[in-house]
Order: sequence, then C-alpha cells, then structure tokens
Amino acid sequence: MALKALDIYKLLPKKNCKECGDPTCLTFAMKLAGGKADLDLCPYLSDEAKSVLGATTRPPIRLVKIGVGTKNFKVGEETVLYRHEKTFYHPPGLVFRVTDTMPAEEIVAITRRVRDEVLTRVGADLRFNGIAIENVSGSAETFARAVETVEKVEAHLPPVLISKDTAALKAALVHCGTYRPLLHAATQDNVQEMCALARQHGCPLVVRSGSLDDLVNLVKTCTADGVTDLVLDLAPENFGEFIRRSTAVRQLAITRAVPDLGYPVYLNAAETGQEDAAVALGIVKYGSVIVTDPLPSGSAKAALTLRQNIYTDPQKPIQMNPGIYRVGSPDKDSPVLMTVNFSLTFFTLQGYLESARVPCFMLIVDTEGLSVLTAVAAGKLSEMLVRDSIKTFGLENEVSHRKLIIPGYASPLSGRIEDATGWKVLVGPRDAAEIGEYLHQEWKK
Amino acid sequence: MPFEMNFGWTTPIGEVVLGATKADGGTRRISYRIGGGTTLPFLESSPSSPAPLIAFEICDNPDFWSPIVKDYCGDVVNNANEWAKKADADYGADLVRLHLTSTKQRNFSDIASLGSVVEGVLSATSLPVIIEGSNEPKIDSEVYQKCGEAGQGERLLLGTAEAGKYRSIAAAALAYNHSIIAQSPIDINLAKQLNILLKEIGVQRDHIVIDPYTGALGYGFEYSYSAMERIRFSALKGDTDLAMPMICSSADTLTIKEVREAGDGLQDETAIQWELFTCLAAATAGAEILCVRHPGTIVPLRKALAGMKQPAQSAGVP
Ligand code: B12
Ligand code: SF4
Repeated sequence: MALKALDIYKLLPKKNCKECGDPTCLTFAMKLAGGKADLDLCPYLSDEAKSVLGATTRPPIRLVKIGVGTKNFKVGEETVLYRHEKTFYHPPGLVFRVTDTMPAEEIVAITRRVRDEVLTRVGADLRFNGIAIENVSGSAETFARAVETVEKVEAHLPPVLISKDTAALKAALVHCGTYRPLLHAATQDNVQEMCALARQHGCPLVVRSGSLDDLVNLVKTCTADGVTDLVLDLAPENFGEFIRRSTAVRQLAITRAVPDLGYPVYLNAAETGQEDAAVALGIVKYGSVIVTDPLPSGSAKAALTLRQNIYTDPQKPIQMNPGIYRVGSPDKDSPVLMTVNFSLTFFTLQGYLESARVPCFMLIVDTEGLSVLTAVAAGKLSEMLVRDSIKTFGLENEVSHRKLIIPGYASPLSGRIEDATGWKVLVGPRDAAEIGEYLHQEWKK
Repeated sequence: MPFEMNFGWTTPIGEVVLGATKADGGTRRISYRIGGGTTLPFLESSPSSPAPLIAFEICDNPDFWSPIVKDYCGDVVNNANEWAKKADADYGADLVRLHLTSTKQRNFSDIASLGSVVEGVLSATSLPVIIEGSNEPKIDSEVYQKCGEAGQGERLLLGTAEAGKYRSIAAAALAYNHSIIAQSPIDINLAKQLNILLKEIGVQRDHIVIDPYTGALGYGFEYSYSAMERIRFSALKGDTDLAMPMICSSADTLTIKEVREAGDGLQDETAIQWELFTCLAAATAGAEILCVRHPGTIVPLRKALAGMKQPAQSAGVP
C-alpha cells in the first residue's frame, strides 16, 4: 500500500536534475508519497522503480482536465470518502445540456447563460462550468451544426460531446477538437473507435457501463490503448444505484483496492427524471462531471451553494484578514461597524452596507474565522480583542468620533467593550438586513 | 458485484418508535420504526430500513413563521388543527411537527391552553406527531408536563432537549412514555455528552432522536453535514451513545437572504429548492426525519427519497 517518502526516494535516480519540476529527488519523493505528483514526470526511472512505484504513487483518483483556456475545469485527485477526514479538492463541473434538435436560438441562449450567469457568495464567483451537446437527432451533420452553433458564441466553455455514434463525434470534433472536449461515451461496442478519436484529439473520454466489472475492463482497454484521461459513467438506473456505485468507486479507488476505478465520476442528471435532486446527490456523493438541463433559478442557486459548502475545507473556515475596510468613501465623521473575520459574515454585512449607501468603516477583528454568534458562544470575541484591534489598526486616526457599532448578537459584551476601549458602544440590529434602516435612523442623531 | 465495500461496521443504528396505533394503546393510524441501518445511508443493495420520514412543521402562533409559508398556505396557518389536517391529507406529510410558538409571546402564562392545542392537533390528524415545547426556562417544566399529558399513549416525539435544558422534557417523556429530540450545536462530542446525560437520568436509547443542528444551506450547512456523517460513522463503529436516528430541520433556510430576497414570483420555487437540497444532502449524511416548512417541498422530496431507496435492478443498462 502507500509507501513512505523515504522508501520512494530510495528508488529514484538521485540525480537532482530538476526535470520533474521539483528541486530535488527527495522533494519529488515527498510529493509522490502524498499522491500529489505523477511518476511520469521523472524521465530517468529504472524499470524496477517504475513497476514498484507505478501502482502506489499516482494519485488514487486521476486528475482529469476538461476544456482549455481560463474556463477549463479539473476533476478527480480526491483522497477521502468523508470531507471531514481532509477536504474535497475539485468541485464537480456543472454542465448544462443542449440537444442538437433544439432551435439554434435556444442553443445560443443556453450557451450565453452558462457564460454569463454568476452567483457571488462569500467573495467567490460561482458559475456553471460547461456545455454538453447531445446528439439526439441521429444525424452526424445536425450534431456537428449544433456544436458549431455553440462554438460560434465564443463562450470558450469546456464542451461535452454526447453521442453513441463515432461518425457524429468525428464530425463535431471538426469544430471543437482542439478544446479538449469530454467525449461521451465509450462502451463495449465502440471502445476501439472512441479511443482512436480521443487519442487523435487529445480528449478526455467517458467510459460507460452499469457494471463495475465492465468498467474495469473498459478502463484497461483504454489505458492499454494510450487513453488515460478517463471519466466513469456508472449508468445508474435509479438514485440508490448512483449512491451505491459512486460510493463503491470512491472507496475502492482511494484504498487502491481497484486502481482501475481511480477516475472521476460522471452523472447525467437529465437522464434521471428528477434533475434537481440528481444534481444535489451528484454534488454530495462524489459526482465530478454533472450534466443537467438548464436549471431554473431556485435550483441553480441552491446547486452552486451546496457545491460551495461541500467543497470548503472543513478544517478552516474561509477568513478575511483582520483590519479596517472601507465601504464607499468614508470620512472622519463616518460610522464604524465592528464585526468578525468569518468571510460569510463579512460579505453578508458588506453587501447590506453597500446597498444602504452610507459610507462607513468596517473594523474586522480576528475571531479565527468564527461567526458572531459562534464567536460569542466560544468566548473568542472579547473586549480585549476589540481594544487591541482598535489600537493595532489605528482606528483612532481614521475617525474623529469615538463611537463603535457592534452586532446585535454581541450585545452581552457592550458594557465591557465600552470600559475596555473608552469608545461609546452602539448595539446594532441582529440581522444585517436591517443595518441600512438603522444607520439612516440612528447615526444621523 | 465482486467488488465489496468493506467498512468494518460493527453496530447497527438503534431504533426508535414514533406514534402508537390502537394495538399499542394509542390512536394513530400508523406508527414508524426508524433507525436500524447497518451501513452508511442508502448503501444496502436491498434496503430493509424505511426511507427517511418527512415531517411538516406547523405552529400555533404564526407571528413567528416565514412570510413565504404564510402566503403560500393562506388562512389555514391561523388554525393549527386545520393546518395539521392539511399537512396530513393535502400536503402528504408522514409526520406533523407542532411548534408551540404561542409560548414565545412575552409573559406567556396560559399553560392550560397548550393542552387543548396539542389535543386538537392530535385529533385533527392521525399521523404520529412531534411537539416542540417552549424556549423559556421559567415555564418549561409546566409546558412539557402539559404536552406529555395531553399526548399520553400516543408516543410523541418531544422537542427539544439541550445541554442546558433537558430535565423537564426528560421528566415528561419518562412519565408518559414519549421519545425526545436531543439537540447539540453541530458537535459530535456535545451530542454524545447530552445523550449520556439523558441516559443517566433514565431516558433509554430507544427514546432518543439526535438533532445535530442544521445550519442553513450556505450558512453553516457544511458543518452540520459533516457532524451528521461523523455521528453515523461513529455509531456504526460501535459508539452506542451515538447510535440513534437523527432528525434534520431545514427551517433556518427560509430565513436566509437568498430565499427571502429571491424576487417576485421566485420565492416559492426558491424556498422549495433550498429545502429540497438541504434535506437530500442531510439524508445522505444520515438524517432519518427531514422537517420542512414549505408544503411544495414534500412531493419532490418524497419522489427523490423513493429513488434513493430503490434496490439494485437487474443489470439492464441502456
Ligand atoms: C456554522 C456554525 C458553527 C460552526 C462555525 C462556523 C463559523 N465559522 O463560525 C462550528 C460547527 C465550528 C460551530 C461551533 C460552535 N458553535 Co456554532 N453555529 C453555527 C451556525 C449553524 C451558523 C453560524 C453562521 O455561519 N452564521 C452566519 C453568519 C453570517 O452569521 P453572523 O456572523 O452572526 O452574522 C449575522 C449577524 O450577526 C449580523 N452581523 C454580523 N456582523 C455584524 C456587525 C454589525 C455592526 C451588525 C449590526 C450586524 C452584524 O449579520 C449577519 C447576517 O444577519 C449557528 C446557528 C445559527 N443559525 O446562527 C450555530 C451557533 C452560533 N453555534 C452555537 C454554539 C453554542 C457553538 C459552540 C460554542 C458549540 C461548542 N461548545 O462547541 C461552538 C463554538 C466554536 C468553537 N469552540 O470552536 C450556538 C450559539 C448559541 C448562543 N445563542 O450563544 C448556535 C446559535 C447554534 C445553536 N442554536 O445552538 N458553530
Ligand atoms: S527528474 Fe528524476 S532524477 Fe531528476 S530530480 Fe526529478 S526525480 Fe530526481
């Protein structure tokens, strides 16, 4: 099973030639041990080293890149079954599907939507990732035209090409063959031809079967044929089978029990008859490429938010640097609002302050990324912290008054903060949504 | 399948019975036995345990309720009995969860009236019922006593015990043979501690449902999700102080910005989708009672859960 860095080091050439991109063989060995590098990067390995290290050092789930340019997305290289064990690294690509029987305007509209739609949460821009074009017409020509329609929008989105017919795929690849589209799908019936196409265009390839045995065989055929950027479509008949197969693949891959299942998982939500639910399950249960018909607004936002939640690092909340932040162009008489350095809190408050259109200062104190209520409950938000922050960040030089607005949930601390800082404390509302009204009414007094 | 997932689980999740039928001395038309899982949720290839239950939440004073739900449900929110009837007959819930929000009024003292509220709901629906008592330490013990008494024989699920307040609710549960919800703030150790405290004062394991606290989607849900996974995992590994079924309420979700400010015509859809996403994720993490407040969530949620519970089919792959 997993080798230690030193064991790996013993098998490396020890030339320290840097060609692998690492400064020394030892640092390369450490990366290999952590599943963070690919063995092929060292050109000087002995055959013995290759055979010993081959199976155990590559990441248990292969990293697969889909698309090119700034919008490409990478999936795979996960190492755990539960996010609390470490973290989930590569969020699934959420891909909207069009069919080649749709009118061109509709295809264009959906492509533009994927290009333009963005949900900004916690300082991050959340987007859908690509566009899948499905050949339902049965005609290679129609399929190629639909792909051409998508490409003409110049949205540069990673494409997924869905067709059983290699002739249709071939025709479509004329329009996007250099953009690393994901090809769907190789089955027992067409695996040879699919591999040829994938090799010719350097594309990642989906292999599809409802049986894990078949998948292993397909993977073996593809890799023997030189196609290694693979994605697994588990062809689930129902949600239960998706959860079971996807969990099995993850478990067998990360334990390296079945290395041939060490690839990211594909899910076509559009195939399940209940897309919103399928997308939710795909996100939590190890889906890496999730194809869906364009989601309505409610589920679109829920999906992006769930994905953001599940793929944040459970060990450290997303944090802001403590300090003084400005909203608008505040002056010496502008209000100062104190809050914690949990990003979610910061951005929620900032959003409401911006729409309130009252220029002000935000004093962000270091609660190690805890929210207001959590920080108060844990004793992380204290009068000393507020006093020291005022001093350290030089708040006294920013404003001529000495008034500090604190969050409603921090009201138990108001007296102590006044005593420790000498500033007059005003207890703001609990809900940041009411901050605009509060400032308009209270601050002017 | 030659590929066996081997997790080395040793201990099944304990079972809890909700509701009592005539045969058991109650008046419910059905009772549920939840728990009993032997592996991670939905992994059994021929599932023996039931799909998670869907509880619809109502209250006896809608002042404290989401305006989205009030607009959608209409006048019925002013009458807990009618609302419970609707939850059962029209919305299609498995359970009704009644929140005694009237106790939140300032200086509330009409404890006696709570008994008839509970009785009213119990006669309006023959589904098993969850009762959420007060949040006010001063009246807690009387409130729970009243609720327990009014539901005598019905095997209620009483909520909510927390580390700082569990005695009065436990007393009512013990006296009238109800089960209780044990809530802790998103922390596996605190969940365990509370269960131990309950055990020490005599509440049996088969009368406890764990509420690990559900943060709203986008506002802490990821912590709840992992806490649930860890509780389930530890239980299966043999920690009997955590081997109880779990309950998840997506209630916080209706109060967040994205849902409140969804925009005209989009509020219901958004509320439903956010509840749906929260509940489905919670179910995969181990929750066995999923509580919703928007009636529109029930149908899609039930459909998805049924799919998740479907057994393996013969390998007929399209
Ligand atoms: C996620 C979460 C956690 C996460 C931490 C997440 C984090 N980074 O903070 C974890 C799991 C680690 C956690 C731990 C704990 N938690 Co906790 N947690 C939550 C949860 C579910 C959500 C918190 C959140 O993200 N809120 C969203 C942010 C945006 O809210 P916020 O920071 O308060 O900001 C809002 C307002 O305060 C206001 N605002 C913010 N700044 C300002 C500034 C001004 C000037 C104004 C006017 C307004 C304003 O605007 C925001 C939006 O309205 C809450 C429940 C809840 N519904 O709030 C419990 C909750 C806060 N936790 C609680 C507790 C008790 C704890 C623990 C102490 C438990 C324990 N003993 O371990 C620990 C403490 C942490 C520790 N010891 O490490 C309790 C607090 C009880 C209380 N009333 O005091 C809560 C309420 C849960 C409960 N009901 O039991 N928690
Ligand atoms: S390329 Fe090989 S030999 Fe050169 S430094 Fe890297 S590991 Fe050592």
